[in-house]
Amino acid sequence: MGRPAILAAVLYGVAGLLIGPAGAQETKQETKPASGQAMVSPITQQQLNAADKSVNNFLLTNGNYAQTRFHPARQIERNNVKNLHVAWIFQTDVKESLETSPIVVDGVMYVTTSFSHVYALDAKTGVQLWHYNHKMGLVTTYCCGPNNRGVQVLGDLVYLATLDSKLVALKAKTGEVAWQSDIADPELGYSETMAPTVIKDKVLIGTNGGEYGIRGFVKAYDAKTGKLLWTFNTIPENSVGIWATKDATGRDMHRDIQAEKDQLAKTGDPFAKLGGGVWQNPAVDLATNRIYFVVGNPSPDLDGSIRPGDNLYTNSLVSLELDTGKYLCHFQYIAHDVWDLDAASPPVLVDVKGKDGKTIPGVIHAGKTGHIYVHDRKDCSLIRFSEAMVPQENMWVLPTKEGARMLPGANGGVEWSPIATDPGQGLAYAINLHQPMTYQVENSPYPNGKLWLGGAFKVIPGEAQAGNITAVDYNTGKIKWQVKTPEPMIGGILATAGGLVFTGEGNGKFAAYNSSNGKELWNFRAGAGVNAPPSTYMVSGKQYIVVGAGGNTQIDFRRGNNIIAFTLN
Amino acid sequence: MRGKLNLGISGVVALAAVLNVCTTPLQAQSIEEKTQVCTGCHGEDGKPVDKTIPVIWGQQAGYIYIELRDFKRGDRKSDIMQPIVSSMAREDMQAIAEYFSKKPWPDLGQPRASKEISDRASSANRSVGCTGCHLDHFQGDGTVPHLAGLSREYLTKTMADFRTRARGNNPGMSDLMLATSPEDLAALAEYLSGL
Repeated sequence: MGRPAILAAVLYGVAGLLIGPAGAQETKQETKPASGQAMVSPITQQQLNAADKSVNNFLLTNGNYAQTRFHPARQIERNNVKNLHVAWIFQTDVKESLETSPIVVDGVMYVTTSFSHVYALDAKTGVQLWHYNHKMGLVTTYCCGPNNRGVQVLGDLVYLATLDSKLVALKAKTGEVAWQSDIADPELGYSETMAPTVIKDKVLIGTNGGEYGIRGFVKAYDAKTGKLLWTFNTIPENSVGIWATKDATGRDMHRDIQAEKDQLAKTGDPFAKLGGGVWQNPAVDLATNRIYFVVGNPSPDLDGSIRPGDNLYTNSLVSLELDTGKYLCHFQYIAHDVWDLDAASPPVLVDVKGKDGKTIPGVIHAGKTGHIYVHDRKDCSLIRFSEAMVPQENMWVLPTKEGARMLPGANGGVEWSPIATDPGQGLAYAINLHQPMTYQVENSPYPNGKLWLGGAFKVIPGEAQAGNITAVDYNTGKIKWQVKTPEPMIGGILATAGGLVFTGEGNGKFAAYNSSNGKELWNFRAGAGVNAPPSTYMVSGKQYIVVGAGGNTQIDFRRGNNIIAFTLN
Repeated sequence: MRGKLNLGISGVVALAAVLNVCTTPLQAQSIEEKTQVCTGCHGEDGKPVDKTIPVIWGQQAGYIYIELRDFKRGDRKSDIMQPIVSSMAREDMQAIAEYFSKKPWPDLGQPRASKEISDRASSANRSVGCTGCHLDHFQGDGTVPHLAGLSREYLTKTMADFRTRARGNNPGMSDLMLATSPEDLAALAEYLSGL
């Protein structure tokens, strides 16, 4: 393929030779055969339910079913974090955007890379145990990089969703395929980059494709067989809604409601190609058996003229019944979005102060708008929204042919990056982008699964970009502290009981901060963008911090292929 | 003029090849026989006979398949390509795509762009995010084409055709090209051809 490294790439897996078509950025000329099987004990649902209390493991993409990304390990803390050093570095075979959340089960770590590779590693040494190289289908259609954000484990299976829209169950010991199911047709614009959420013998998965005119969904599959159990279409057949004219914060969105109504009369409800991908994991409320997730943008992104109505449930928080997929409630942040300022960062379940000051079960979400939204878990209603974490200017100016400048740019605010919380402090930690952009609109009909932006969002050359790490008191909506960063932030963040937060930057910096005041306590230069969410775990009595350093396609941060684990002396 | 003349010759070659395809059932042909028709324009050695004809050796398989599919559907217009693909089944198109994707990418011997042109192209890339889909080093993946080292003339023509929607099978690309100035597109064509 014109790339010598790829021609020479011969990849071995433990389950025999796993030679597939080499992906675009595979780097190693040869990898050694795996050293052996992963000595894993089956993980039970009870263990997963108690993931928030597991000091040794990191069992779910965002730490636990509530998705707090708060880990109880406290060996690494504010006083000793300055002594953190590299324990090991594992180099994957793929030098391309790295967004994996490392999962750790009893000393075995599972990481993924772009193009849907999975590695099982010894979490203490970084030694490879097995490697699954997915045989990618001919057709993949995806936005924003060939990413994969990780796996989940239940029993003796490891679950993966792939770029060519397959759901794959691997044997945890060997990496062999136990079963594989089709999720949706990649030729129509469907792809997978999120990690599955596995709960009560169900594998929950959303879909990408809001840039290609899909009809989004969350699906549940039988964890043992891969059989489809239920589908919730994120776009209902009546997607029109209430003709909302204001966003969640009360600002006018300048909709031409009469023009939309005229269009609706002419072309009908646009639900069939309306987008509404689900980029990230649902949170699961174990007490009420409900799930909460956010739905992405409508298709086409910038041209609202051909999709009249509120475009339900795009740009919304949605709650379903876990067992059946039945709709329970939703809250839409931006009706009829024409800026791609959608909802991507996974929601988090924490107790919050309600409007009357009483503590109630809440759900919070960090938006591309730069606000953290706080909801009542019972009915999805909005309790409050935070101060803006990034500059907002000219909202909501409509996109024009020539391009209209508005802040935030289309990547946010908070992109897909998961937030962390520290319930003891009542704080949510978010990483933000600041990228001044212009929004341009164009009109074209549905292009059969091709890119369908309805215009363009353009970074403005010459205008400074930046980022920040922001701690928000979710009981008041006030910003507690903020650390400015020289570049836009994308990846994720982790909070620990050691009083720390860990996050990385596109320039390769990975750092620890005091979670109460944002003071930087330690940093490391990884040599490639650290644009993945960190995890933490313990093996043989030692706590480790682990993170991927592989850069990012979407913001074009320097690529690498490193999984780096840190520990104390 | 030169381009037109060459295209005319290519058309004759292609027509002869089509006639050959039509006399032998497709399913009875080897992949080499099925792809013989392609060499008339795209080159025996992967170097196209005319600079406005794309390189398909080493191109992404998903992209080649989708383009063949779109020629057949009429979503992408070409008097030469449409008759060639009209009798192809999906499996034929996929096999042809796989076949060419495994060939080595040819070196067209184009010069590297100057620093000034490279900087302008990089700025344009940062603005609309070409590498968000075409990936690092413009290598492409899946249904997104490899751009590095395509001929400058083909790149120029393609971006212009997207801009006018003369090439109508990817309106998202048309939108992005319309959002990019002609001067930036010229810089991109020169920069990409020299990679």
